[in-house]
Amino acid sequence: MTLLTEALILGLFAMSLDLMVGYTRLVSFGHAAAYGFGAYACGWLLLHTSLPMLATIPIAALLAGVIAVGVAWVCTQATGVSFSMLTLALAQLLYAVAYKWTSVTGGSDGLAGIPRRPGPFGLDIFITRNGFYYLVLLVLSGAFLFCRALVRSPFGAVLGGIRENEAKTLALGYNTRAYKIAVVALSYALGAFAGALYAPFAGFANTELLFWLLSGQVLIMVIIGGAGTLIGPMIGAAFFLTVEHLLSNYTEAWALFFGLIFIAFVILAPEGIWGLIRARFRRRTAVELDHRRGVAGAQ
Amino acid sequence: MALLELNELTRRFGGLVAVDHVSMQVEEGEVRAVIGPNGAGKSTLFNLITGVLKPSRGSISFAGEDIAGLSAPRICRRGIARTFQLTALFSQMTARENARLAAQAREPRRWQFYGGSSVFSAAGRRADMALARLGLSAVADRPAGLLSHGDQRLLEVAMALSQAPRLLLLDEPTQGLSVEETGQAVEVLSGLLAAGNMSVLLVEHDMEVVFRLAQRITVLHRGAVIADGPPDEVRQDAGVQTAYLGGFA
Amino acid sequence: MDLTAFLVVESLNALSQAALLFFLGVGLTLIFGIMRIVNFAHGTFYMLGAFIGYSALRLSGSFWLALVLAPLAVGIVGALFELGILRRLYRRDESAFLMVTFGLALVLTEVIRLGWGPEALQVEPPSAFRSIVFVFDEPFPTYRLFLAGAGLLVALAIWQFLERTRLGLLIRATSQNAEMVHALGTDVRLVRSAVFGIGCGLAGMGGVLAAPLVTASIGMAAEMIIDAFVIVIIGGMGSFPGSLLGALLVAFVQVFGEYYLPDLALAFMYLVMLLVLVVRPGGLLGKEA
Repeated sequence: MTLLTEALILGLFAMSLDLMVGYTRLVSFGHAAAYGFGAYACGWLLLHTSLPMLATIPIAALLAGVIAVGVAWVCTQATGVSFSMLTLALAQLLYAVAYKWTSVTGGSDGLAGIPRRPGPFGLDIFITRNGFYYLVLLVLSGAFLFCRALVRSPFGAVLGGIRENEAKTLALGYNTRAYKIAVVALSYALGAFAGALYAPFAGFANTELLFWLLSGQVLIMVIIGGAGTLIGPMIGAAFFLTVEHLLSNYTEAWALFFGLIFIAFVILAPEGIWGLIRARFRRRTAVELDHRRGVAGAQ
Repeated sequence: MALLELNELTRRFGGLVAVDHVSMQVEEGEVRAVIGPNGAGKSTLFNLITGVLKPSRGSISFAGEDIAGLSAPRICRRGIARTFQLTALFSQMTARENARLAAQAREPRRWQFYGGSSVFSAAGRRADMALARLGLSAVADRPAGLLSHGDQRLLEVAMALSQAPRLLLLDEPTQGLSVEETGQAVEVLSGLLAAGNMSVLLVEHDMEVVFRLAQRITVLHRGAVIADGPPDEVRQDAGVQTAYLGGFA
Repeated sequence: MDLTAFLVVESLNALSQAALLFFLGVGLTLIFGIMRIVNFAHGTFYMLGAFIGYSALRLSGSFWLALVLAPLAVGIVGALFELGILRRLYRRDESAFLMVTFGLALVLTEVIRLGWGPEALQVEPPSAFRSIVFVFDEPFPTYRLFLAGAGLLVALAIWQFLERTRLGLLIRATSQNAEMVHALGTDVRLVRSAVFGIGCGLAGMGGVLAAPLVTASIGMAAEMIIDAFVIVIIGGMGSFPGSLLGALLVAFVQVFGEYYLPDLALAFMYLVMLLVLVVRPGGLLGKEA
């Protein structure tokens, strides 16, 4: 049950990144910053205030979203690789801050003993292991419906334009910078939501949650699962956890295999697992498969 | 009052004067061609009008308002739409989706992040009309990247048209087309231009196309205007003939 | 320590630091200049150089041999990667390259961890440079002087290589107009493989040289890739003199920043990168990215 809960939390984390990577082709190497921030913020609130868990989680996410607007403004000054490097740099900065600001973050030890505080009004059905699972399921479902509505909306259509040809989208009269800032802020806010769920789930928050390795892992989840599909990244998260738990029993080198699988997917199956499944079930023609591949960044 | 007025418009790139004190006026409903040998400054002129470049000197006014210095999206929203010399489409989207995204830019709730069916249907209607006027209805559901080159050029025009512009800028619409495709494109375009009272600024290399479509021609040479008038007049102009060296009789 | 002594000593520190950063940055910028891709795994190649250098030293007992073998080995690994994997991606967009090189960074990091273990490894500097000299009465390791000298030497060598040799000419031509070079009969693909290999080899050399100073450890790569990128951004993507300038700038900011504002040095560096990206997206000396 806890494994399933963790898969759902990671699924939310990966789905949030998909908004940026899959739908707008803004490749972020620093998404762990959102996750870690959400975890630390929620954890700190649970440890140092008497707010219930049901309040600290959304508060942490909201806070992250507000800060993310500033982060997005900075990062979108650049495009392409420079954008990606800026996201990485800012995430590393946050990592360094968390490492050094021991009084608030607990330094390399992090925050421990994060409680799942019941409330408001004594509501405690989400405190238990099963209950928390349903909480995460609820949040993920809500987030999924929200994201799906978003990508199918006029706003989502503009994101698609930016993904395919930003210069043309600009020439059509859209303020593409504003759209990019909005989607980045939203993506970080949802990622922070996932982190905020993690803190009371695991009971701790540490600097590992801000490290570039996690940023890389979630990016891999999105790509392997299938970028630009919302469902794909969730599959990718489940795939990642499965591989981690199964293989790590057999070999020390599971991360190596995972990296190799990732490279293979980027080259051979950029549409990801979900893309492959969809192709198989709907028996698309070769033409349409190439059409779909475009969504994931090929050709 | 002219729809578009350029006054002593100048643009320098270091030592090179790409556009040299160009003054011209495009009236409402006019179809004006801008021609000139390579390097004459035609693309730069377009980039200045659409806000991609800022002028070094001079002014541009559109519908009575000064637009020099505004950003490209702002100018576009004022009612100027353009096509590009190098085909720029959303190749993975269908032709209709391309045109719809262009039309959506004119909708007041284009940024709506939920639902949007009213936005989509309004934009879709405009897109379908534009596609029909360009003869592209049959291929509306095909991915733009898979259209023939000729259809792609026409789709660009359809996208510009979907924005219901007051001024349409066509940048070498028949660029890269075969003789046959050019003929077809000219048929469609002349039908389009004859029907409405569209104000069009057209850059073209192909003289046949120019003489088919344009009501008035402005000739650029080394960034400056050397002739400006109805096609027959420009044809006879000695300066133009020298500049072009055997272009047309 | 009075002001002159302090400035001189810290400047020497900065110069040796700049040398290391230069090794990293020059490869990255050359690769970008030719292939228009950013090699995310560059920091990992640097790290690989340090570890291979460690083993070469253990096996042969000679630092100088390690200094030759490690860059060679790393360069070969890089060239093989380009041949086998990167070649398939040239028609895709840049995000595919970013992700594949990122995957490579992960794979290489794991290979190193499995091959050499997770602990940091000590590498002895060569006997010729183990001593200390006194600069203004302050002790200063000769190895750092060696580093600064090595950096200068290699910079000169690369400069001459680019200016005077045939391959150097091909590299410069390809970075400006690959199609023309192809039309003139050269197999551009070979130039690309060569540049990728050379670039990685240079990173590996940087790693070997850095090892006696910072020890060979798994964490090296993450910090260095950002540093390398900052250098290349500041100096200009694809500009060889730019990578030199960038390395000097970043090294001086890091060394003096660490002294005056220890906690803010990191933030300050990112701020500089941001400013450059905003004001001159092509870098101080380079072409547009």
